[in-house]
Order: sequence, then C-alpha cells, then structure tokens
Amino acid sequence: MKPNHHLDDATLLSYSSGALPAALAVVASTHLERCATCRTRLLDADRIGGALMQQQRVEAPTDDARAAMLALLDAEPAIEQVAPPADIVEEHDPDRLPSALHPWFGNSMRALRWRRVAPGVQRIRATGISGGDLMLLRIAPGSKLPLHSHGGSELTVILDGAYDDMLGHFGPGDVADLDGEIQHQPVTSPGVPCICVAATDAPLVFSGWFARTLQPLFGF
Amino acid sequence: MMDSDQTVAEVAPFRAKQYVAPPASNAAPDAQYWSTQMSAVSAHRDRASFMRIYDHFAPRLQRYLRNLGVPDPVSDELVQEALLTLWRKAGMFDPARASLATWLYRVARNLYIDHVRREPHWLPIQEGLDRLDHAESARPDSQPESSLDQDILKQAIDRLPPTQAKLVRMCYLESKSHSEISAELDMPLGSVKSSLRRSFAKLQGSMRAPR
Repeated sequence: MKPNHHLDDATLLSYSSGALPAALAVVASTHLERCATCRTRLLDADRIGGALMQQQRVEAPTDDARAAMLALLDAEPAIEQVAPPADIVEEHDPDRLPSALHPWFGNSMRALRWRRVAPGVQRIRATGISGGDLMLLRIAPGSKLPLHSHGGSELTVILDGAYDDMLGHFGPGDVADLDGEIQHQPVTSPGVPCICVAATDAPLVFSGWFARTLQPLFGF
Repeated sequence: MMDSDQTVAEVAPFRAKQYVAPPASNAAPDAQYWSTQMSAVSAHRDRASFMRIYDHFAPRLQRYLRNLGVPDPVSDELVQEALLTLWRKAGMFDPARASLATWLYRVARNLYIDHVRREPHWLPIQEGLDRLDHAESARPDSQPESSLDQDILKQAIDRLPPTQAKLVRMCYLESKSHSEISAELDMPLGSVKSSLRRSFAKLQGSMRAPR
C-alpha cells in the first residue's frame, strides 16, 4: 500500500545532509523503506549535496597523495567487478519489522515485549540511542490520546492499525512529521491496535491536568 | 575553409563515440564525461580514468569532510576509502540514477556518519535503500540525472536569497540539525524549517524545469 503522508522537505534535507538526530533518522528510514516517492525526493536532496560538494574551490592533489592512492590500488585484490544487485523480492510478512528498526527492536512484531504505561497504551523504548528518544507504541483500538504538542520535532510512522487526527487519516507506512507548533490529539481506529514507531528530539508537552498526570507515565 | 569544415562534419559522428575529450582547464566536466570515466574503471579497471576522477573529486571530498569538522588524518583516510569504494563498486554506479558527484557525495556522507558520528546502523540501512532504488530505476517517474544539466542546479543554488543560501550551506556543508541552526542564528525553529522548505522547492523546481 502506498503511503499518503510523507516526510517534510526540511526533514529530507536534514536526512540527506546527515544532520537529522539519530532517533529521528531511524523513523525517517522506516518510512523511506516503504515509500518510493520519498526515496525519489531524497535523491533530489542528495543532488543538492553533490552539487554543493562539487562547487567548492580546491587545490589539485599533491603528488604524494596521488602516489598513496595508487599504492592502495596496487594492494587491492583483483576482485570480480561487483554487478548491480538483483531486484529484491518484496516480502509481505506482516510479522517482520522494517529493517531500520532491527538494531533497536529485533525483527519480529510478535516477539516484542510490550510494557504497559497507561490504560490502553503499551510501549517499548529503545536504549542506547544517541540524539533523541525512540520508541514503539501500541495503542488500543478506539483510544483517544491526550492533546499534546512538541518542544522540538516528532516523527511517527504507523506500522499497523491506524489513527485519525486534525491532519488526516494515518495508516501503515504513513509518516506524521510534526514540529513544535502543532498540537494534536490522535484517535486510533477501531479493530486492531495501532502500532507505531515514534521519535522525538525534545520532550513532549502535554496540555491539561489529565495529560500532565499521564506525562510521568509516558516518561517523555 | 569550407572544405575543411565539411571534413570535420564528416568525421565528427564517428569520433564522438570513441573519444571523450578531457575538459578544458577551466570548464567543469559534465556528468556524461564522468559517466564515461566510470565505465572505463568498471569495464577495464582503467587507472588513468580512475585518477582523472581522483584528481577532480578527492580534493572536493576532502574539503567537504574538513568543513564537517573531520580532522585531517581522518579526512585523508575517508577520502581514500571513498575512492576505494568507487574502485571496488564502479559496476554498481548507474548514471541513469545519479551523477558521479551525487554518488560520491552519498558515499562520503555515509562514511562520515559511520566513522565520525559512529552510528553503526546507518550504512546497512543506506545499502538497503540503495537496493530498493535499483529495483526502481526503471520507474517511469524516475528522472535520469545525466539528462539534467548540473549547471542549472548550481546556478539555482547561486540565485538563492542570502538567508536561504546560508541555511542550505549550514545544513549540508556543516551538517547542522534544524535546532542547531535555530540556536546558532537565534532564529525560530519554524522559520529555519520554512526557509529550508522554500529553498528545496526552488532547487527541485530547477531540476525539474522543462528544457
């Protein structure tokens, strides 16, 4: 299924330049794995990087540097030329998590060990990631999350199930690319739990006393 | 005069296929030129072609990595590693998908994130995305970069308003996050993002403009 909600242009530029905080980059990669449209846009962003790299004024390499490079070629084994890889077969295994998540959460949806953090909300938080907070959330069908906004940036990709908020309907593969100015209150669709991966580069800010009570539970 | 012009006109179509002129000293070689050099590296392990690529790109990659704050001995090694990657994987280069400048930019950026930022999961993820890209390069909406005039993109970068140009450079050439740019320039985060969005739209427009 083709995603309907895509990465923000500013996020793509940051991803292309290697500047996106690590946690947000994991979620952006999760969307890119599923979205050919955004991969094509990313290539445009990389072209800008290529042009800027090439535009720089530089001196010619020294003779020593050239000799060192040629010496390295001499040391290279005469390997068979690498051919372009064969097209990979799209696997449609609903249990398989996207590759970008494997280092943090393993590869099986069924094997995840959820921890309840609030009524109807379960979470697994990635440990050891630098640059932001990365977590999986599993929210019971038909739940209304507290109204919240974000101090910095938040990226969320739906893995299973769906939710609606003022920005529209978000289903598997869709990314919600939100910045600090947006306040939203997702409501999960009936039927199956909504499972998503979310990353923030700054703490979330809940509004209202009920949400403030929840905040310690989320541990954002 | 007329006779010699006619002679040239007669031989030109044959020569054009066999001979790619080295660029004049001041003119930047185009994507087609680099694509031809890459074919020679890929098909014949041609060292002369490889060194033409090295002479042009190695100092640029070095400057790019130095700007990112990579100290000299490390940037030397990363440049060599980027060029060795090119030597080993020249057959993977697909000129219909990206120009050599774009391809090498990706290689150097990935090495930077892997070696300097020490994010060990970045490289395998990028390799996975590359494989998906390969599967798609035949898609009807994928636009071969070799058909794009890179000069048009460069001119479009030069035409950006000063603030937009500054932000684009901070993003790419200093690898600063939106919040770092926001803090450094004392500019609201939302303004940083909207300025980068406007720049991207303009630059993308220049790449997609009908010619």
